[in-house]
Amino acid sequence: MKLPLSLRFTGRELRAGVRGFRIFLACLALGVAAIAAASSTAEAFRRGLASEARTILGGDVAAGAQRRFTDQEKAAFEARGRVSYALATRAMAQGPGGARRLVELRGVDSLYPLAGTVNVQDVGGHPLTLAAAFAPKGGVPGAAVEKALLDRLGVSLGQTFLVGNQRLVANAVLAAEPDRMSRGFQLGPRVLTRLATVEGGGFISGGILGGGTLFNQTARIAIPTSADPKQVRASLSAAFPRAGLRMRDRYDAAPGIRRLIDRLEYFLGFIGLASLVAGGLGVSGAVNAYLETKKPSIAVLKAVGADGVLIRNLYLVQIAVLAALGIAIGVAIGAASPFLIAALAANSLPVPALFAVYPEPLLRAAAFGALSAGAFCLAPLARARSTPPAALFRHNLGGRLSLGPELVGAVLCAIGLAAVAILTAPSRTMAVWMIGGVAVAFVVLWLLGMGGALLAGKARRLATGPARLGLANLAGPGSAARTAAPAVGLGVALLASVVLIQSALLAQVGEIAPRTAPSLVFTEIPAEDAARFDAEVGAALGRLTDESYLRMPMFTGRISAIHGRAVQRDRIDPSQRWAFDNDIQMSAAGAPPKGTDVTGGAWWAADYAGAPLVALGEDIANAGKLKLGDEITVTALGQDIEAHVAAIRRVDVGGFGPGFQVILNAHALDGAVLRQVAIAKTDMAGEERVLRRLGSSFPEVNVISVREQLESATALFDRLALAVRAAAGVAALAGVLVLAGAIAAGARARAREAALLKVLGASRGQVLAAYAIEYGAVGLIAGTAGVGLGALAAWPIVVKVFEAHWSVHWAGVFALVGGAVLLAGLGGTLAALQALSRRPAPVLRAD
Amino acid sequence: MQQPATDALPLVLEGVGLTLPSAAGPVEILRGVDMTVAAGERVAVIGPSGSGKSSLIAVAAGLERPSFGTVRLFGQDLAKLNEDGRARLRRSRVSLVFQAFHLLPNMTAEENVAAPLEIAGEAGAGLIARQWLDRVGLSARGHHYPHQLSGGEQQRVALARALAARPALLFADEPTGNLDGVNAAAVADLMFDLIKETGAALVMVTHDPVLAARADRQVRMAEGRAV
Repeated sequence: MKLPLSLRFTGRELRAGVRGFRIFLACLALGVAAIAAASSTAEAFRRGLASEARTILGGDVAAGAQRRFTDQEKAAFEARGRVSYALATRAMAQGPGGARRLVELRGVDSLYPLAGTVNVQDVGGHPLTLAAAFAPKGGVPGAAVEKALLDRLGVSLGQTFLVGNQRLVANAVLAAEPDRMSRGFQLGPRVLTRLATVEGGGFISGGILGGGTLFNQTARIAIPTSADPKQVRASLSAAFPRAGLRMRDRYDAAPGIRRLIDRLEYFLGFIGLASLVAGGLGVSGAVNAYLETKKPSIAVLKAVGADGVLIRNLYLVQIAVLAALGIAIGVAIGAASPFLIAALAANSLPVPALFAVYPEPLLRAAAFGALSAGAFCLAPLARARSTPPAALFRHNLGGRLSLGPELVGAVLCAIGLAAVAILTAPSRTMAVWMIGGVAVAFVVLWLLGMGGALLAGKARRLATGPARLGLANLAGPGSAARTAAPAVGLGVALLASVVLIQSALLAQVGEIAPRTAPSLVFTEIPAEDAARFDAEVGAALGRLTDESYLRMPMFTGRISAIHGRAVQRDRIDPSQRWAFDNDIQMSAAGAPPKGTDVTGGAWWAADYAGAPLVALGEDIANAGKLKLGDEITVTALGQDIEAHVAAIRRVDVGGFGPGFQVILNAHALDGAVLRQVAIAKTDMAGEERVLRRLGSSFPEVNVISVREQLESATALFDRLALAVRAAAGVAALAGVLVLAGAIAAGARARAREAALLKVLGASRGQVLAAYAIEYGAVGLIAGTAGVGLGALAAWPIVVKVFEAHWSVHWAGVFALVGGAVLLAGLGGTLAALQALSRRPAPVLRAD
Repeated sequence: MQQPATDALPLVLEGVGLTLPSAAGPVEILRGVDMTVAAGERVAVIGPSGSGKSSLIAVAAGLERPSFGTVRLFGQDLAKLNEDGRARLRRSRVSLVFQAFHLLPNMTAEENVAAPLEIAGEAGAGLIARQWLDRVGLSARGHHYPHQLSGGEQQRVALARALAARPALLFADEPTGNLDGVNAAAVADLMFDLIKETGAALVMVTHDPVLAARADRQVRMAEGRAV
């Protein structure tokens, strides 16, 4: 019975328009739009990846191994469909002028590619066939080469160059490979040639046990349309359970990219959620301000017999209608934004995307919006319900906030908001931390705002003139310190954490890493020639010390069992599975290498020759919950080695030292000829000297420039940071909106106050100064607290997640605090100017 | 339930006091007021500003809870009713007219008059509202909003809204206080005519001795007491 009446009355109330609700609508729309945009774009990329999955994988199922496939394996692949084989390795390329560069060399057979097309071009950019690209010239096999390599080596199309000891002729520019994305991280430009050329080029001679080059062989299988890729994958895995084959199917074509999209979506969506929380204050402020203007109407309705439920429903329906409008605006913007991205950057997108309107992410964003509106609007509605009719006689009367259905509903909505955010997160632990962090930050900022208002109340007794007026307003009932400060502070905190993480990582890459990390990494050093290699490097770099050069054996393997029981990856946290999913690089040593930081147990004697022992890095030990004395089975070099954990060591990823997570005692691998790797620290000139010298003496040794890798990591990080900064900007904008809302809500009182001050003889300058001081103080509270909280959030991410050194970008910090003060002060000045622009007489008459 | 004879009376106040908090400390507004209003009786409450006249109406109409004492409306002890209960009691038997009119700004004149009827769930609220607007001479102004009406017109709408629900008791707080002489006289005439016609009792706060003289009885308030 009540609701139709509420609806009728709502219609009458809404005829007056939604003027007082612009901030309400903007706050809701902004947060919902941010979440919807992040989710819709991510969905477009996921669908794009899924639709191109067969092309990205290069077939329906792929098998990979760091060895040649056995005849049985090949027979099994070929029994299941058409198979294209490829061999990939890394080697040094050398141009006619002697310039050298590590390249990713890949040989493919005549069936390649099973899906999609390779884009190879001639000098004029015209497409060529693979056959033309691979055609030998003068007996030298042809290859398609990435443009970056041609530039680097000074090679033109038609000229020859060396890869390892293999001469190749650059027939074509390699513009795009369909399956590029499924092959992960690359250390150098790509060279594509015939499979037979790689097989015969000396890259895989000797095999892994003989100390040969590290290579990957892959088989891509196109299965009949009636067959299920998952079943084919499962049947192959079952047929070769201990072969160490890395199997993938087209449903899992580019897991790394998919994971990145998931994480980025969540992070950007989370910032949208934080902006909903920050904007929630604006939503709540707008509802409060609106209900304040409705107090006489509420009291009249009660005087003529309306009960509290009718009043609550009347305004609940109004707020719900407006919230639905705000959410709809947000959803519309969010749904449109992927199309905007498509229009602006369709050709430069790194991942295929299928842009469309996807209902699921939009519904999720709408749900976030609705729950946030509920969490922030229901409490003011409780006040409306309990507004006493005596408010008709006494204007200072407000409703009480008592435990009723509205408050229970608000709490349930807040819990629902957190629950949906956690349940839809790719990592629940991370989500709990992030949401808990936002909640704690919000409460801290709110308390600081309250404290600021209290302090201003005390301090005003000591001040005079405009400062006293500013402080009095800051302490007063409509104080922006209580409303705008937490919202602006939350925006500043998010921006600050992004800025501090980014600057710390850039400092790590740009300043700290060059000091601490090796500058060159050498791989494929022949074991039998290791001493001569040391001498060659020494000759190029001068005297080698433990601080500037370290060489160790390296092999790949995996921990296959713990205490004799096969590792069950399902029991390991997905974020830690890296250590058990694939073969990882391992080493063996007698005496502890220089820089070894043993944190548990003891390293074995240099000449120890007893039962195998292993020293584990803290990360892998934690991932597998391994302790000192545990027995693990390391499957490597074609054998199972059972070793006991003798030591746990800290691995400094960015430092100069052994980066291996698993180091066995030297005698555990007696009989195996192990390839060697080395790291060296030098300057750019030294890098150049080593590269040139090894070109003639050790052409087979791969030299990786860490500086170049750091530069490309920086570039990638910069691109991601742009998206993250943009999202954090949205949260800051929510803070600005709340500030604007607080200013707008107080506009009428300000106009009256300014008019009274003018009547009392205050100058315009004094009024302006008072308001600038008041809002500048709000900016100062929000800015300093926001930066402090941002730093608290950034520190664990920099130190624990990225394992980088903590550093503070002071210029950024001061810019953020200064920006918050300036922005808020400017808002106050604008409010003052608006208040001052009205003539006192009409304002006072209207009151 | 025992029903004493006085329970049938529209209004009984027994030792009613009201103390309100303020920044400067509690303020005693009413200090033990006794008052009875019989059915159809017209009572004028007079006295200087600050003597507690409006607060008396607020307490008597159940808009404000007394600090002590008993208020009975049609035999119902207001202390035993919660706010919603008091609202329901007003809905069926009590109406108010205010000095500041207090029309609902987003509703037209007709909607304002219909509002209490709609709240009470009466059928044909719109028709009744139109009839009452006709009675107060505003049938042509039914679709106008309060801000489009003059003060006198607004108070006539307020009067129509108060009487459309056929209350047995009308509280009027300075009903002509915001009006000029001509409009004040017109509104007062209308109010007394309509009261007579409906048979409702009236409790009217006024500073105007002429208006007060039209009541059956006058109660003088001074320093929170009926003297």
